[in-house]
Amino acid sequence: MITRVADQMKFNLLNNSISNIQNANNELMIKLSSQKQVNKPSDDPTGMGKILNYRSAKAQISNYQKNVDSSKSWLSTTESNLTSVNDILNSIQQTVISQSTATASASTRQIAADSLQPLIDQVLSLANAKFGNSYIFSGTRTDTEPFSAAAQAAHIDVPVKASGDAYTGVVSLDASAAYTGTANNTYAVKIVTGGLPLGATPYQISSDGGKTWGIVKTDLSGIVDLGDGVKLNFTGGAGTFAANDVFYAHAYAAGYYNGDGQELASEVGKGVTMNYSTTGEAAFTSQGQGTADIFQTLNDLKTALQNNDATGIANQLDPLKKAQDQITRYIAQCGTRTNSLDTSSSTLTDMDTRITGLTSNIEDADMAKLITEYQTKQVALQASYQIASNLTSNSILNFIR
Amino acid sequence: MGDIGRILNTARDAILANLTAMNVTGSNVANVNTPGYSRLRPDFGSIGVFNAATDQQQIGVKITDIERLYDKYLDAQVVQQEQYGAYSQSQLDVLNNVEGIFNESTGGGISDLLSQFWGAWSQLSTNPSDVTTRDSLVSVSQSLASMFRQKANELINTQNDTNKEISNDVTELNNDLAQMADYNDKIVQIENSGGTAADLRDKRTELLRKISQIVDVNYYEEANGSLNVFISNGRSLVEGTNVWNLQVKVNTNNASFYDIVFSDTPNEVINGDLKGGKLAGLIDIRDTKVVGYLDDLNSMASTIITRVNSLHSSGYDLNGNVGGDFFSTASTSARDMQVDPSIVADVRKIAAGTTVNTDGDNASAIAAIKDDASLMGSGMTIDNFYESLTSRVGQDVVNAQNSLDHQTSVMNQVENQREAVSGVSLDEEMLNLIKYQAAYNAAGRLVATVNTMMGTLINLGIDTAISS
Repeated sequence: MITRVADQMKFNLLNNSISNIQNANNELMIKLSSQKQVNKPSDDPTGMGKILNYRSAKAQISNYQKNVDSSKSWLSTTESNLTSVNDILNSIQQTVISQSTATASASTRQIAADSLQPLIDQVLSLANAKFGNSYIFSGTRTDTEPFSAAAQAAHIDVPVKASGDAYTGVVSLDASAAYTGTANNTYAVKIVTGGLPLGATPYQISSDGGKTWGIVKTDLSGIVDLGDGVKLNFTGGAGTFAANDVFYAHAYAAGYYNGDGQELASEVGKGVTMNYSTTGEAAFTSQGQGTADIFQTLNDLKTALQNNDATGIANQLDPLKKAQDQITRYIAQCGTRTNSLDTSSSTLTDMDTRITGLTSNIEDADMAKLITEYQTKQVALQASYQIASNLTSNSILNFIR
Repeated sequence: MGDIGRILNTARDAILANLTAMNVTGSNVANVNTPGYSRLRPDFGSIGVFNAATDQQQIGVKITDIERLYDKYLDAQVVQQEQYGAYSQSQLDVLNNVEGIFNESTGGGISDLLSQFWGAWSQLSTNPSDVTTRDSLVSVSQSLASMFRQKANELINTQNDTNKEISNDVTELNNDLAQMADYNDKIVQIENSGGTAADLRDKRTELLRKISQIVDVNYYEEANGSLNVFISNGRSLVEGTNVWNLQVKVNTNNASFYDIVFSDTPNEVINGDLKGGKLAGLIDIRDTKVVGYLDDLNSMASTIITRVNSLHSSGYDLNGNVGGDFFSTASTSARDMQVDPSIVADVRKIAAGTTVNTDGDNASAIAAIKDDASLMGSGMTIDNFYESLTSRVGQDVVNAQNSLDHQTSVMNQVENQREAVSGVSLDEEMLNLIKYQAAYNAAGRLVATVNTMMGTLINLGIDTAISS
């Protein structure tokens, strides 16, 4: 129990209480002016962690939303192109029915053949459409025009030495190479250890464009068989291999298609990826997933019309029907995918709203409460000032004359 | 029988004693604002014996002693409390600085850039062959790397500043120790020759408080009045007039850190023996807290570098080559983090594809690192880890602030108790002044009365002579 009050004690007391109030006032003013409850980590340590967490969640959501939006644009382009193709196929079907009957003559069939060519060109240009800089129907080979106007035999492109490879020799297709695969594919060779002569160089091969690699083999001096009739030769440049040098060759099955069978995917939610592209292979060819070779059918029809071949014309009705079914199937797929993207999108929007609310609960200042607190502190401060101004006037000195 | 001369003597004693008392009051009033000043009190004592039978003596007054009012236990508490307060204060100062480094309340820090970084990979996955998308990924990655470098450097600067402060404090402590020895010398001299060294003792206590702010000390006073000061491991800093100086020495494991040693035993590091005061606070914060934050930042940087590079080198760039390093692997610590120069020079070298064809699946895989909860331990993703680091910094500041608040309130309490005993109260001094003045006036009146009486006596003689 303190019985003596020294002058220093009075001043210290006032000093401490005024500086405490001023400190609290300062904190309140920062909160009031920023309208935020949390202005530095120590204002609310766990809250700050949550705020950062919510912010990065929001950033992710907006990213997913971007992916959803661009996937939807891609899907809508795909859908409208496929619908146009379907319309064209419908009108061609009319032609086939009318030209397969006995009432048609050589001349009407020739006219039909002539008018068919622009329709084929139209289908071709729809199938070769781009979204931005990417061809929509060429699978993952978005920089390659997916369909050629004329049918091609099965073939293998000149093998490519990736531009960063250290190897100075030449990689070429072996004379005996002949592609036997049923769909377009990319074959690759990867060097495991560099600096060795051709005959002693260990390597791996891949038949899926480099996604997975086979067992390590040795000896690149003879014919290097990548499977499915793809065979390469390495000449010269012995000892210049470096590990991870990659060589690849695109191989094409017979037909019109130059793309591949891989669909493009994008991330539309945490751990949720969605394929958004339709490959030309599936929609237009009989390779891989596809069952109806549309360009083959159309060109066969044209030949039959030109040749005035009634049976040949009638024979195309069934393939044409199949082609339409195939196109319709992928139009429907676009619809399903768009719907599920819409669902993702609204889920994302809901999450965004919820997280905004959660962030606001922690971060946003309760202005009414802060202002009340601020006024309470003002009163306390004024009281302290009042005491301070009276501190020296209440003294025995006033009474000594 | 009375003696008129003796009354004058007594009056003289009273005048002198009260004058001295007023002098003491003057000293107290003058030092009302002097920190550490202990008020003085004059002790009045009666002298002489009054014996009506012998009629020889008279009772006078004199100032027997001028007492310095203090409570050495309260002083000890103040000194003790200083070291706790200074310990928390020094930690809070450094932590406030660190909190500024990690303050992302307005965005724009590592957390923000991490989101942008993962986002850029995700964007690339939907548009893998687009050079503009690649450019923006590289620029975001460079910002992220430079933010890591900046934060790590700021933490290292904080450590260096702390280090300089430690060195300055040791110099200051050595000066204080020399001053302490000097006070010891003077106090012993003055008190041996019968004087009182009240003023020097106040100053010495004040100096002890100052020393205690730097390092936690124990002390005891010897019979001759000199103060011996030593640290918690029992080694003396001051004994009488002898001083053992401290000095800083470069740490053997970390050339940028200072250790504290006694000058005469430079191989015995005493960092761990310091438990309180500013030095201990600074060493603790430098060696545990800030090192911890830096370690966390480094482990984040290194995880990002290793994971991104590992996936990047399993993919293929736009040229069909196997991906190289995305982040430079020359060093995986946060302060050296940077995007590999080959990527900056040619954005086509970003390996976004899982095949030699330009799919974006590898970019997707890299973007998905953000969701991998197995990377930082305790089921935390990289983002979570940073969030918890920020929370921890905030919590450390709160803890230091709370403990300082507590120390301050204890300190105020102890200070008040000390002031209650030793502090000057002007009201009290003024009352004393009135008291002394009244006594002085009364003694003066006594002289005047004796004077009149003397006159009466003398006039008595004259009257007799005239009348006779």
